Amino acid sequence: MSEQEPIIVLENVCKYFGEFKALSDVNLTVQKGERIVVCGPSGSGKSTMIRCINRLEEHDSGRIVVGGKELTSEVKDIDAVRREVGMVFQSFNLFPHLKVLGNLTLALKLVRKMPKPEARETAMRYLERVHIPEQADKYPSQLSGGQQQRVAIARALCMNPDVMLFDEPTSALDPEMISEVLDVMVELAEEGMTMICVTHEMGFARSVANNIVFMDHGEIVEANPPEEFFDNPKHERTKLFLSQIIGH
Amino acid sequence: MNFDIGLVFESIPKMLVGLGLTLELLILSSFIGLVLAVITLLMRISGRWFLVAPAVTYIYIFRGTPILVQIFVIYFGFPQFEFVRESVFWPFLREPFWCCILALSLNAGAYVSEILRGGMLGVDKGILEAASALGISKTQSFIYITSPIAIRLSLPAYSNDIISMTKATALASTVTLLDMTGVARTIVAQTFAPYEIFLSVAIIYMIMAWMIQKGFGMAEKRMSRYLKPAAG
Amino acid sequence: MSELVGWADDYFWGAMVVLRVFAVSLVLAVVIGLIGSAMKLSGSRVAQTIANAYTVVFRGTPELLVLLIVYFGAAVTLTAIGQSFDASVKFIDIPPFWAGAFAIALIVGAYMTETFRGAFLGVDPGHVEAARALGLSKFQTFVYVRIPQMWRLALPNFGNHMLSLMKDTALISVIGVEEIVFVAKIATPVTLKPFTMYFIVALIYLCITTVITLAVMAMEKYANKHLVSSR
Repeated sequence: MSEQEPIIVLENVCKYFGEFKALSDVNLTVQKGERIVVCGPSGSGKSTMIRCINRLEEHDSGRIVVGGKELTSEVKDIDAVRREVGMVFQSFNLFPHLKVLGNLTLALKLVRKMPKPEARETAMRYLERVHIPEQADKYPSQLSGGQQQRVAIARALCMNPDVMLFDEPTSALDPEMISEVLDVMVELAEEGMTMICVTHEMGFARSVANNIVFMDHGEIVEANPPEEFFDNPKHERTKLFLSQIIGH
Repeated sequence: MNFDIGLVFESIPKMLVGLGLTLELLILSSFIGLVLAVITLLMRISGRWFLVAPAVTYIYIFRGTPILVQIFVIYFGFPQFEFVRESVFWPFLREPFWCCILALSLNAGAYVSEILRGGMLGVDKGILEAASALGISKTQSFIYITSPIAIRLSLPAYSNDIISMTKATALASTVTLLDMTGVARTIVAQTFAPYEIFLSVAIIYMIMAWMIQKGFGMAEKRMSRYLKPAAG
Repeated sequence: MSELVGWADDYFWGAMVVLRVFAVSLVLAVVIGLIGSAMKLSGSRVAQTIANAYTVVFRGTPELLVLLIVYFGAAVTLTAIGQSFDASVKFIDIPPFWAGAFAIALIVGAYMTETFRGAFLGVDPGHVEAARALGLSKFQTFVYVRIPQMWRLALPNFGNHMLSLMKDTALISVIGVEEIVFVAKIATPVTLKPFTMYFIVALIYLCITTVITLAVMAMEKYANKHLVSSR
């Protein structure tokens, strides 16, 4: 895969939930190392779009290419894609019956077929990277929301993905815990991780994103670098959204 | 009308003899039933119609008919067929004990498979998505994530089912078996003292039910270590 | 096949007996369940202890045993009472139909007590407060707010209890009630087809339980119609 080839391509992607058109001719290109923030009102299709990228949702028409592989209904393709794409969920989705370490090593053992000691070592390394190595032997229920989300990030990072997808990672957190998670995400960005992040955290967007994508009613309305986006929004809907979100 | 305590104490040793048979029936049927339940469950969730259909039919029939009738169909009914009488299973199927085991196991299999399925449905979809997102295959996810959580969720209902099974073993007395209830009925027929005898047997059953409940309670507690403590 | 047709009549009337026992037991069980749950929720130590003892005993004892105790016990008691009045009395018993119906009601009533108790506790206290704040009396609140909500919560389990009750009725054949199992028993030596005879019994039960299950599903739909289902 050459440097010029984009790591993710969405071409004319449409997705329906029954009668409801969730994604309408979505076109998006993501280069390696790019950080994309996706924002928009609820129901605009942001989550649906990134969930299509790792095929948690199936798109109905159009093309999605991830890491050079096109997403089809072939199962082995999907598993291969998912290994290279990490996802962090709004509700963390940690495995409740496994300790923190177990959460991180499960996929390493099952998918990467890593032997136990190596898996453990890898897991501890990533736990340190998210600054909570001392929580390794605890169960998720014993951790705070911010800690749980950081474990979730570490869990995704353990698989050494080429791209990280974040689906509103801080929306379910109490305000005082948001920054510990955003800090980790900023560090990741600085290290060069390719990221697509659905979020309402505009401060984060402004400082980290290369490109901000605004979606509404299943369409990409506007996509611009932060300075353009915040200071010079082109569309009415974008202006409206920004005034609502930044207003208070 | 007097209550003959002496009779109660005299009869307890005899009833404990019946206890052996009761426990045999319970343990054997529970075990075979569990195996059947897992097989049935896997068939039911397989998605292939030729596996789902028999599983669903089996569950429907055995949950929709009384155990007593199931026992009678097997014990009284099977001998009607020559192929049964000539088969290699005949030495078993002519014995009331094995007929009861068969009926109780089939019954348990149907109920427990639905209980396990209920446990499966209780697993948070988000967790399964996270597993998919990590590239974990559906089968691996079922073994390492769904199963442990589903088993814990199934425990209360499963313990209730075991208690029901314990009570169902009493039906063995209707086909001449001398389990606790069978012994009790024999003694009552001789002594005309239904209250004393049946009440003491009832007490033994209640103690068994209580012990089973306590046992499962402890197992559940152990399995729930990782859950959030209830206090806010 | 012709000899089987001859028994169709007996099966029919036997099934009627089963349905009658079912109906009587069900009504009694619901009454017992409501009383039992009221006692458990009452706050009175005495009432709670009695109710707790009741549910523990009747949920922990085999159904067959309860049936036998009620039937034979009642006979012994009544006979003893009768003899104390008139020494020439040989034997008094209650008709097995009633012994059976009552015994089954006691058993299922214990389960209903627990279900109703849980369902009453599940009624949002906020709704009750709102009703009282609007001026509804305790009784009106009970009838118009608590019972409809409790009923919706109790329905799934109530449906299961109805099915258990239905299947428990098979036990009354053991104490001599002439219902469908009994028919199979007497038909077997005549037709020499025990499997067929008992299979028909199973089939009849299966039909009845299917009807009950469908009825409960319909009731659940109706009870939940005011709730919006989320995607």
